Amino acid sequence: MSEDKFTSLQKVALVILRVLIGWHFLYEGVAKLLKGNWSAAGYLSQSRGFLAPFFHWIVDTPTVLAVVNQMNIWGLIAIGLGLIVGCLTRWAAYAGMLLIALYYLANPPFVGFYYSIPMEGNYLIVNKNLVEMAALFVIAITPNGRWAGLDFLLHKLFCRKK
Amino acid sequence: MSDEKQEKKGGAIDRRDFLQGMATVPVLGLFGYALAQEQRHIKKLKAAKAGKEEDKNVAELNVALLGAGAQGTVLLNAMLQLPGLRFRAVCDIWTEYNQRRALNLLKKYGHEANGYEDYREMLDKEKNLDAVVIATPDFWHSRHTVDCLEAGLHVYCEKEMSNTLEGAKAMVLAARRTGKLLQIGHQRRSHPRYIHSYEKIIKEAGLLGRIVTVNGQWNRSVQADLGWPAKYAIPEATLKKYGFKDMHQFCNWRWYKGLGGGPIVDLGSHQIDIYNWFLEARPKAVVASGGTDYYSPETHEWYDTVMCIFEYETAKGRARAYYQTQTTNGSNGYYEMFMGDEGTLVISESDAGGKGGLVYRQPNAPTWDEWIQKGYVSAPRQIERAAGPALTDVRESASPDEHTIPIEFNDPYHKPHLRNFFNSIRGLEKLNCPAEVGYETAVCTLKVNEAIEAGRRLEFDPREFQV
Repeated sequence: MSEDKFTSLQKVALVILRVLIGWHFLYEGVAKLLKGNWSAAGYLSQSRGFLAPFFHWIVDTPTVLAVVNQMNIWGLIAIGLGLIVGCLTRWAAYAGMLLIALYYLANPPFVGFYYSIPMEGNYLIVNKNLVEMAALFVIAITPNGRWAGLDFLLHKLFCRKK
Repeated sequence: MSDEKQEKKGGAIDRRDFLQGMATVPVLGLFGYALAQEQRHIKKLKAAKAGKEEDKNVAELNVALLGAGAQGTVLLNAMLQLPGLRFRAVCDIWTEYNQRRALNLLKKYGHEANGYEDYREMLDKEKNLDAVVIATPDFWHSRHTVDCLEAGLHVYCEKEMSNTLEGAKAMVLAARRTGKLLQIGHQRRSHPRYIHSYEKIIKEAGLLGRIVTVNGQWNRSVQADLGWPAKYAIPEATLKKYGFKDMHQFCNWRWYKGLGGGPIVDLGSHQIDIYNWFLEARPKAVVASGGTDYYSPETHEWYDTVMCIFEYETAKGRARAYYQTQTTNGSNGYYEMFMGDEGTLVISESDAGGKGGLVYRQPNAPTWDEWIQKGYVSAPRQIERAAGPALTDVRESASPDEHTIPIEFNDPYHKPHLRNFFNSIRGLEKLNCPAEVGYETAVCTLKVNEAIEAGRRLEFDPREFQV
């Protein structure tokens, strides 16, 4: 079993990392939900880079934008919950990576790109989105949810033959 | 999280398994608790931000408008949003134009008002009036106000109270003699953001520390003289009867000596009034420079450009307050800025220039967390500065945090001040700018023109402020 290679301390650290990222996702989703009128339009309309035409198309197509807004809000909440309680952790982590990759590609911090929505801090190619994505990758490739999480119970119930 | 446990696959779920599976679920409880705390905080801030609801069940008052020009129309539009007012009369010597426009507007809102050219005729015939709102040229204010007070009416009179101190004094005395209310139109005195700034930010929280300097301005772009439709020109005899040389002077009276006071009086008095209010003091002296530098002195007898500095002795120490008004470049609009040793307040009646209400904390000041939580100021925004060699210069101070004033205000500017006037008549409130306050401001403002003429620093005698 691969998990044998981890010490208890390493497992605790990785579970903490998972829960913290989960909290961040959950709150990002809940905050947008509670705002009531939140929309990704502002963020997407200032998109730069090779995917910019795609993101601009989303903004310009009201029905698509409405769907994207809802998918983003509920996606964030679902991923956040999954990471916090350790349920379908691997799926949650990969989905989170995909979501963040979209954020990153919408507004990449490349040389010569300027954004009107201010970001705290200073970034060159690497920003916090990329770091969070890498952290999710670590979670995705470890049996994190089985160390402390509902995945442990799911695993016991459904994977007994292993 | 034990490793041995992982090895025992295939067994039923026992208590230990359950605990391991649910180990991180309590985090959701923590999250919910934090979220509830945050939502409660946001709700409190919102409640503090929201203004008072308009009370529709107020006693009805019979009102007349005396002077239906540009400012009279502004006031009329604001009043039409207030409950409990019945408009009975409009008086304006420009019967074919100003008066007709006001009457038509009132008709649209279901008011049957009578039109008058002569205010004395109006006072004779309209016997049911409770209050009059006066927006005539400055040199008429005193006579109009005194006569209306004597006729038993409560009066809201536009600033400047009068173009002469004798005139202003007569108004204060008439209000005292008749026991009727006299509100002067320094409408910022009733503006929720100004009241919040004075009561909460300056007085209660003391966020500015000791105010040492003040500056403010009202800058306007170049404007052509006001014209009039030829077919509606007032007959010469009528103009002469009411003290005007010709139609040009009638329309542009603000620029003429003996009629108005120029921009320092039209615009400056509003803001100099705030200096006195927020500093809780009257100035000791004033130096001023000004002149008709741009427009023709023929048609602009009063100064198109004025810069002045007032000296104050406040309860906390000396303060100097700069003010400028110019009419050739509108950059940065109009605002007042109070600079204390712990913070800065930038405030304006208008939100347009982004100066509607900002507070900056000096880096040496104590933290403002308590006041942010109470909703007195918003959470801070660090002002990003371009990094450069100058950043390490010891002569420079670190840039301050920027806070906004969380008071929403979307009403016409004059509405709260008019509401305060009418509610004072009803006995529900007290006047925010009674005659004595307007008088003090008139003393300060008229002295600026005097100082320019004298070409030297003029001191105020404390007795000058008393009537």
